[in-house]
Amino acid sequence: MTGATTKFFASIEQRGYDPRLGRMTGTARFDLKEGDQTDHWFVSVNNGQLKVSRNAGGEPDAVLTADAGLFDRIAKGEENPVAAMLRGALLISGNLQLLVQLERLFPGPPNARGPRCLHDGKREQKQ
Amino acid sequence: MTADQVRILDGSTFLVSDGNGDIDPSPTFPTGLFSTDTRYLSKWVLTVNGERLNALSVDDLQYFESRFFLVPGVATHYIDAKLSVIRRRLISGLIEEYLTFLNHDEHPANLIIRVEAGSDFADLFEIKDVTEKKGSYYREVEDGCLRLGYARNEFRRETVIDAGKSAKVDEDGFTFTVTIPPHGEWEACLKVRLGAVAIGGIEMHREEQTESAAPHMRFDLEKWLSEAPTVNTESEALAMTYQRSLVDLAALRFRPLTSRDESIPSAGLPWFMTIFGRDSIFTSLQTLPFVPAQAAATLRLLASMQGTRFDDFRDEDPGRILHELRYGESAAFEEQPHSPYYGSADATPLWVILLDEYERWSGNHELVAELEYAARAALKWIDTYADLMGNGYIWYEPRIPETGLENQCWKDSWDAIAYRDGRLPGFPRATCELQGYAYDAKMRAARLARLVWNDPAFADQLEREAKDLKDRFNRDFWVEDGEYYALALDNEGGQVDSLTSNIGHLLWSGIVPEDRAKKIAEHLVGPRLFSGWGIRTMAQGEGRYNPIGYHVGTVWPFDSSFIAWGLRRYGFNEEAGTLAEGLLDAAAYFQGRLPEAFGGYDREQTKYPVEYPTACSPQAWSTGTPLLLIRNMLGLDPHENHLAVNPGLPREMGRIEVLDIPGRWGRVDAFARGRLAVTHPKPVSPLLPRLT
Repeated sequence: MTGATTKFFASIEQRGYDPRLGRMTGTARFDLKEGDQTDHWFVSVNNGQLKVSRNAGGEPDAVLTADAGLFDRIAKGEENPVAAMLRGALLISGNLQLLVQLERLFPGPPNARGPRCLHDGKREQKQ
Repeated sequence: MTADQVRILDGSTFLVSDGNGDIDPSPTFPTGLFSTDTRYLSKWVLTVNGERLNALSVDDLQYFESRFFLVPGVATHYIDAKLSVIRRRLISGLIEEYLTFLNHDEHPANLIIRVEAGSDFADLFEIKDVTEKKGSYYREVEDGCLRLGYARNEFRRETVIDAGKSAKVDEDGFTFTVTIPPHGEWEACLKVRLGAVAIGGIEMHREEQTESAAPHMRFDLEKWLSEAPTVNTESEALAMTYQRSLVDLAALRFRPLTSRDESIPSAGLPWFMTIFGRDSIFTSLQTLPFVPAQAAATLRLLASMQGTRFDDFRDEDPGRILHELRYGESAAFEEQPHSPYYGSADATPLWVILLDEYERWSGNHELVAELEYAARAALKWIDTYADLMGNGYIWYEPRIPETGLENQCWKDSWDAIAYRDGRLPGFPRATCELQGYAYDAKMRAARLARLVWNDPAFADQLEREAKDLKDRFNRDFWVEDGEYYALALDNEGGQVDSLTSNIGHLLWSGIVPEDRAKKIAEHLVGPRLFSGWGIRTMAQGEGRYNPIGYHVGTVWPFDSSFIAWGLRRYGFNEEAGTLAEGLLDAAAYFQGRLPEAFGGYDREQTKYPVEYPTACSPQAWSTGTPLLLIRNMLGLDPHENHLAVNPGLPREMGRIEVLDIPGRWGRVDAFARGRLAVTHPKPVSPLLPRLT
């Protein structure tokens, strides 16, 4: 178990409601493997309301499986989850729409400059 | 593409072979079996007693099925056919190839029939230079099957070929040693299964590959065709073009990995069998009156992948609609940013425009309500992250120049955005049509805010912003000495002053005041822009003009179709009719299948449209073009719960009926008779412009 992963799930729990998942309901299980140990995290969405637990009962609607170290980097924004999935480093099954929506909760790269830095000198900041 | 190449496809899986049905490594044009942006077969060669076969004829039965009639020997020899071979193949989840050998002789035929198979597993992006793959290949013979594979860390792609019990398998293919009795025949079937063993661990082809889905696919195509409106016309060319377009649209349906029950239009064969935000949206707009389900699927899918964070490599921002998604090795290992890539400055406002246009046709408030958050995020993107200069326009600049797109508008080649004298502006750039789309997106979102989102204050705000944008735009982009709109603004606020087809999109968006519209229409159908077939992307006489320059002189049918829509919007029915007729005449030269682009040569000069050398075909938004032209010529437009018909049909078109047009009204019919006199080239009509 690593700090970034714990922090990531804590931030989801803290978020409570996310409008981007407003039409989504279901539970996803995250299986994070370290050696022969597997850590489980459950994220359930109820019309955008997010809850995190370590042992939700019942069968999840979707499962994401990854190496714990890789997931830690994803949780920090250092690795892109879609590219990891295309590589086969991150495995998914079940309700893929649910996972596509949850994927959007991961942070972007920590060093991203974003578009507005390009011409900061010339433009007034708008938000 | 040479004429003897044969292509069949199903969604993102397609096969390109030579006229004999063989696949051979070729550096110039890719033949092969492709899926998920990867080549799964690069060698597939049939020989008999060591000799290649020669095609007598090829039938493209359906887009997913073709049949080759072959005889031994090469074309230069006298063909003494004692043996003929029928090679039939279809793609339907798995790929099946049926070989039938007919012995016409009175003696038995002793044959060694050989199919050589191999794969380089090239990523579509490295197809022309597959030299140094970073992973390793493997070949295995097991249970009578040949397994070809490629692995790079966890990344794996596999092709498994089963030729049945009568075949002898080795690592390079299959051998059948057979004796066919006099006047007898022999048959075999080879089945090819694809394994993207690890796209997220999902064997994406597995379920479909257990048995042939061909009967289902025939039924599915018939259903698709029967659900689309019927077009009855006196013009045989138009009837053929409409039918061809419907079949090609069926072929170009793409089912994303994450939502296999809905399909959206992919961009085109062979390079673009994937999700492109811009292409899927434009095609959905063109085809809404005919096949509306694709618009809903496109809206939902693109919203589900809307940007949520900053990612410089992917040019991602919150609210931005994606440009391109790829599944291949280069995306997986982040050698290309397509996982997905967001570097498009127009897909976001266009998505809002499609949402409104979809509501106007379907009356589906539920979807508009479902997508409210996404629409607001898109509108916010337009006002914030897209406005790189802070002056109220959409600008673009790739954040990582090595991998990002230089031009993030539809004219995305490096030299497309140029001054009259041929110079290229610096970055960022703000092309004119982007501002038109932003204006239209705000106006249309205002309508939805009142109608569905119950937020009249937001609607008022959007309309104020739109009006302000229109005023500023007409001040900053108007080129006084030419009386048209500049192609773009440069980063000093100066005008990139070439005359281009982009001004036609401005009519479609409604950002042109009525007193300037006539001048714009004159330019569009005038001799510098109108070739007689369609509108040149760049006017003759501009520094970079080249009739076969990809975005600096060729005619793009899709571009012209939106311009025709714009001309109708301002009441220039004759001009729109002239354009429609030119494009439909061109389509007849391509058996109803308009290519991506053709040369900007004068119609008078060449007499026939010259296809752009490496154009993509069928291409989704070229395929959608005839449908939008039919809509324009009949003047079909929803007005609340009924469909208005306001024909502007060239006389030569005769009579057209469009039956069973789907929409919020159920199904209705529309009729028109050609009354417009249209000639080439045509001066602009003296009619006063009016908004319809």
